[in-house]
Amino acid sequence: MDSLITAAAQALAAGDPFGALNRVALREDAPALALRGIAMAQLGDLARAKALLRRAARAFGPKEAVARARCILAEAEIALVSRDLGAISGLDAARAILDRHGDRANAAHACYVEARRLLLVGRLDEAERMLAALPPSPLPIAMRAAHALVAAGIAIRRLCIGPARAALARADTAARQAGIPALLAEVESASLVLDTPAARLVARGAERLLRLDEVEALMASGALVVDASRHLVRGAGTVVPLDTRPVLFALARALAEAWPGDVPRAALVARAFRGKEADESHRARLRVEIGRLRVELRALAEIRATKRGFVLAPHSTGEVAVLARPVEGEHAAVLAFLSDGEAWSSSALALALGASQRSVQRALDELAASGTVQPVGHGRARRWMTPPVPGFPTALLLPAPMPSG
Amino acid sequence: MRRSSADIIREYGPFPEVERVAGVTYDGRHVWFASGDRLNALDPDSGETVRAIAVPAHAGTAFDGEHLFQIAEDRIQRIDPQSGRVVATIPAPGGGGDSGLAWAEGSLWVGQYRDRKIHQIDPRTGAILRTIESNRYVTGVTWVDGELWHGMWDGEESELRRIDPRTGAVLETIDMPPGAGVSGLESDGADRFFCGSGTSGKLRAVRRPRRDAAGR
Repeated sequence: MDSLITAAAQALAAGDPFGALNRVALREDAPALALRGIAMAQLGDLARAKALLRRAARAFGPKEAVARARCILAEAEIALVSRDLGAISGLDAARAILDRHGDRANAAHACYVEARRLLLVGRLDEAERMLAALPPSPLPIAMRAAHALVAAGIAIRRLCIGPARAALARADTAARQAGIPALLAEVESASLVLDTPAARLVARGAERLLRLDEVEALMASGALVVDASRHLVRGAGTVVPLDTRPVLFALARALAEAWPGDVPRAALVARAFRGKEADESHRARLRVEIGRLRVELRALAEIRATKRGFVLAPHSTGEVAVLARPVEGEHAAVLAFLSDGEAWSSSALALALGASQRSVQRALDELAASGTVQPVGHGRARRWMTPPVPGFPTALLLPAPMPSG
Repeated sequence: MRRSSADIIREYGPFPEVERVAGVTYDGRHVWFASGDRLNALDPDSGETVRAIAVPAHAGTAFDGEHLFQIAEDRIQRIDPQSGRVVATIPAPGGGGDSGLAWAEGSLWVGQYRDRKIHQIDPRTGAILRTIESNRYVTGVTWVDGELWHGMWDGEESELRRIDPRTGAVLETIDMPPGAGVSGLESDGADRFFCGSGTSGKLRAVRRPRRDAAGR
């Protein structure tokens, strides 16, 4: 590479993005564009960084595949932290190129960016496979921290709290060794998740908040749990998904909340059929729906008729409990994602929630009207955040821009 | 045009605290190479670095028999190798896009990397005397026995190539192995080239092809 590019890359590596920009600010050739992009990303101007990196990737010559792959990787990482989950493309091909040319650190970095994306959209198995294919030990120390953070994220979402704590401890050690404050802050905010109420338990007519390890213990206790955040019923190694059957789920939840007592027919009709008076036709429909719920839950419990309604009778001797989000409301799922402190695009939220963009947009508009969330930016660049919480930075471990020359 | 594969005689480095080699020259005893914030003197027989001068050193390096010349940002520094002091500075012809520096016949020859040019300049003023067009990226320049050679590095490909100093026509190329870049090029005046290898931080000695009496 040439003289000013070398000087600028040296400044960037020394943590002086302004020094780097000063040297290449007016240059439009590919390596200069890439350096400017990385510097702007370090300075937090992600929109400009992305545009510069995209131009750089286009400007590199046909033989400069590695340089182009690094630009694509940097752009993907920026897309990830700006929650532009739909916009990540070409990362697989870039990773293959980096791998083929022996750039192991950046190939690993690409794996880590992809694993984080899979984690955010809830594809845990794929994220785990991605990590498993990547041996952590010979990697640069910052990558090891990133690796452990993704492993912790997977363990938390799987409710394996012991392994999650162990992974966070590894991430903490590596982040301290790497001496990257943003990375350390990310580890700290991830650790906070373990000590914050994660769910609300409703059992025997009483409610209390649970931490993640208490949720894990509840799941392991053999209790029959009606999980209102995932819309399923589980117990004794059996999971009955009811997410596509809202009437059955509402009935199961009402029965579980009243357990060991029964629930009057009128109350069940009101819960399941949205507050209508229980006339004869509703009673007939209730019998049909209870019959369907019996079939669904037959591995876990019986549903017995009582004089005034129905009662849940689990096969096991364990407890019955309802697990709900700490705060329930119409848009709790949207808020749960936004509570990570990042700026999300509505399309990324729709992807992560598996919902339509329209329904997410409607939820965001209502939440914005009540001041619960706020928009940032306009048009396609618009992002949504919960009002800013200090201590939620995002570590960008950008690739070194220069492969050669 | 003759074409051959590089015969790499020896590899030096990587060296401690050297992330990349940016320019190379030879003073008759030591190979000097630029590594960002200093110039290092290497004994090519022992492979040891024997000295270093702390001076910004971002691209090409040259030696005129008395002084070292070193490109830093958009300037060429003239350095006294004894004291390590910068005794004069002239503007680099590529304005910072420069890569590769050689001394020959009273002039400095400067490669302009992505512009694929080699400038002959006045070492006192920096004035451009003439410009040779190449058709490849220029990452190192050297003269030996009246032959002008330059290093070429384009992504995964790199070569040492001898060009006609009047027309820029390629007369001969030596292919470097895949993945071996060329950043900085110098001849020892005999049968060796020294070339930097960019970000791998190594230095390589490559055999210069022998010629028969007819010069072929």
